Amino acid sequence: MSDRLGAAAPLATVGKKGDPTGLSAKGLSAGTVGLIGAVVIGISCIAPAYTLTAALGPTVSEVGFQVPAIILVGFIPMLLVAFGYRELNRQMPDSGTSFTWAARAFGPWVGWMAGWGLIAATILVLSNLAGIAVEFLFLLIDQIAGSPGTIAELAFNPFINVAVCLLFMLGATLISYRDMQTTQKLQYVLVTFQVLVLVIFSVAAFVHVAQGIAFDASPVELSWFNPFAVGSFTAVVAGLSLSIFIFWGWDVTLTMNEETKNPEKTPGRAATLTVITIVVLYLLISVSLLAYAGTGTEGLGLGNEEIQANVFFFLSGPILGPLAFLVSLAVLTSSASSLQSTFVSPARTLLAMGHYGALPPRFAEVSPRFFTPGYATIVSAIVASVFYTIMRFVNENVLWDTITTLGMMICFYYGITAFACVWYFRKQWFDSARNVFFTLLFPLIGGVILAALFVITLVESMDPDYGSGTEWFGLGSVFVLGVGIIGLGIVIMIWQAIKRPAYFRGETLSLDAPASLRRPRA
Amino acid sequence: MSGHIVVGYTATEAGEDAVALGARLAAASGSAIEVVVVLPADDRSVITPPDASYDRYLRDLAESWLESATAQIPDSVTSRTNVRFADSFAEGLLAAAEEFGASHIVVGAANGGLRGRHRLGSVATELLHSSDVPVVLAPEGSRRVDPAIGVTRITAAIGTRPGADALLEEATSLAEATGAELRLLSLVTVDLPASVDTGVIRVAGAAHADQVLAQAREALSSVVDAEVVIGRGDSIEDAVQHLSWEPGELAIVASSRLAQPRRLFLGSTAAKMLHELPVPMIVVPRTRTTEGGSR
Repeated sequence: MSDRLGAAAPLATVGKKGDPTGLSAKGLSAGTVGLIGAVVIGISCIAPAYTLTAALGPTVSEVGFQVPAIILVGFIPMLLVAFGYRELNRQMPDSGTSFTWAARAFGPWVGWMAGWGLIAATILVLSNLAGIAVEFLFLLIDQIAGSPGTIAELAFNPFINVAVCLLFMLGATLISYRDMQTTQKLQYVLVTFQVLVLVIFSVAAFVHVAQGIAFDASPVELSWFNPFAVGSFTAVVAGLSLSIFIFWGWDVTLTMNEETKNPEKTPGRAATLTVITIVVLYLLISVSLLAYAGTGTEGLGLGNEEIQANVFFFLSGPILGPLAFLVSLAVLTSSASSLQSTFVSPARTLLAMGHYGALPPRFAEVSPRFFTPGYATIVSAIVASVFYTIMRFVNENVLWDTITTLGMMICFYYGITAFACVWYFRKQWFDSARNVFFTLLFPLIGGVILAALFVITLVESMDPDYGSGTEWFGLGSVFVLGVGIIGLGIVIMIWQAIKRPAYFRGETLSLDAPASLRRPRA
Repeated sequence: MSGHIVVGYTATEAGEDAVALGARLAAASGSAIEVVVVLPADDRSVITPPDASYDRYLRDLAESWLESATAQIPDSVTSRTNVRFADSFAEGLLAAAEEFGASHIVVGAANGGLRGRHRLGSVATELLHSSDVPVVLAPEGSRRVDPAIGVTRITAAIGTRPGADALLEEATSLAEATGAELRLLSLVTVDLPASVDTGVIRVAGAAHADQVLAQAREALSSVVDAEVVIGRGDSIEDAVQHLSWEPGELAIVASSRLAQPRRLFLGSTAAKMLHELPVPMIVVPRTRTTEGGSR
């Protein structure tokens, strides 16, 4: 006990949240998030409507009909890592999450890169979210105006697209900066609406199949649920790294433990309920759309590269006819609320990095009026906007490539976090049977899977044909993006290490491993 | 008046203005001040996942802000710091005012106010629409006023409409508590419709001034004497500009007659005054349940 507190001493002096026991500052306002509230936040963070439209196409292109199998398998590493996340969050609740945890387990350099991975991943997803939202905004206007695709086409003009996308970002930044929230009721309605629309969408697709008027009716087979039917190991890996993305964000329901009405039971139930809802939805949608459109590379086939980056955009019209605008509305609202919840995480990590001296102290500034990490929020928004603008002009497959790179970055920082959990708790592994599983086996296996996915994806993506098939410098664009992002992180890290060495000497966040509780008086 | 004055604080210049004015008022009236920072309540989060450690960070930060805020309060003034959680800043201030039985709530101007002038921020606006305690608006630059000045004069802008009684009561009790002179200001001459003949205005103005004076004398205790002035000019703004204002002066207005009983609502005359007023303004709810401001 005492050595743990001793190691945390530098944090305590700066008045930070770092007190690992977390006892000192409890009794804020009493925990208030109920079960339904937690599930609603969970679902709106994952934003299934947005996630599926962005990820379904790329996943089909990798694994064909076996998407349902990949979704089920992809959940396993996510679940295992989430357990590790929960243990770390319980021991060291800190808004820096992966950054702080990895720094305490492996030291400042690894911690810095884990924080970088998290920030890069969220900035990638911000730009992708905004990009998808723009396409659906135009589609929605098109559908309501009743014009046959002329307005929707405008979304693909890079200048209009970038301009509207930047406006979206500006709006989201303002909302995040001022911490504007909708009412709870509205948020419940939006999430329910999103789920209902997805269910209606898939039922309608099945009806088309049953009536024999589907685009390429493909009978549902059990083999769709069998990951071994994919045939190619590398395809499975590529599919998995995408399915990591679709569950990303789910762990928030597990880590909300301190603020739920019943901290013993609510988080577990909320996480379970959220994940069941999400998995059922994903399976329903993927099976119904596969049955409706098949995996062909022509027309509405899910294998068609033209439609893969945003499948709902192309399929909602043929499947729902006049009601297609509902899908647009669901994706739009889900991207909007996800945009806001996503903004919070890089901002909070940047704030923690600024606070511990891993980045300039400006990042730790909190707006005195709105109580948000103002500077960090604005920096994230600017970086995401610049990134999207450049990508949109140099790469027409921007949406697809960001999703694939995103999967890789998530594997990167989740993997580090999982290993951080294993290593951090090394002295407590055998304290109890529970610890053996939750601090050793589960995060270790999860971490190994993610690390393997990361490395294999990295190697595979060197091939210019990988993913969207965009080629840069003779290499796959996803590889260039991934390596570029990590390389840039290393460069900035070294620059920061020269400018503010205190953090890198471990003076602000020290290495730590809580002692075993089994022999407190050894 | 040994009441409490609630000061809404943010770590901004407007917040410093509010603290400085609150302290000056408290020193002059012998009240204690409660410096309050209102943080967002976490059940307000319905989209973003709540994060206990971030909330803790905010709380620590708020406490350090409060510490530096109280550092500028003179030692003679009793002050306490409070961190509150509420859905909105104004709501938190109102709850705190109720809890402490506060006589006043002090808030600063919005960012970007001109030097020495008022600009209503969203918090002040919300307060002015819902408070049941007088709200004191600190103009931009109040933090640079020498606290030793105290409160030298109180000017009450009095009309004949309902609400004048409560206003007079508040003005006199404040003048008694702070030992300030009382000045009664009639803006009737400028407040009449433009179509009214100037002769009529003069007569009406004089009559109103007399009436106010008579009424006020009746209401006043022997301790406080009051002078009466009649505002002159083409508009309210003009009239306010042409009056003399002391650095230690406070202006008091009643809330609009549109306000619900015992709630504030800034009337158009008061809003116009606010634009030009170089001194703090106190807005008093239409009817008060008890005298003296504390309840």
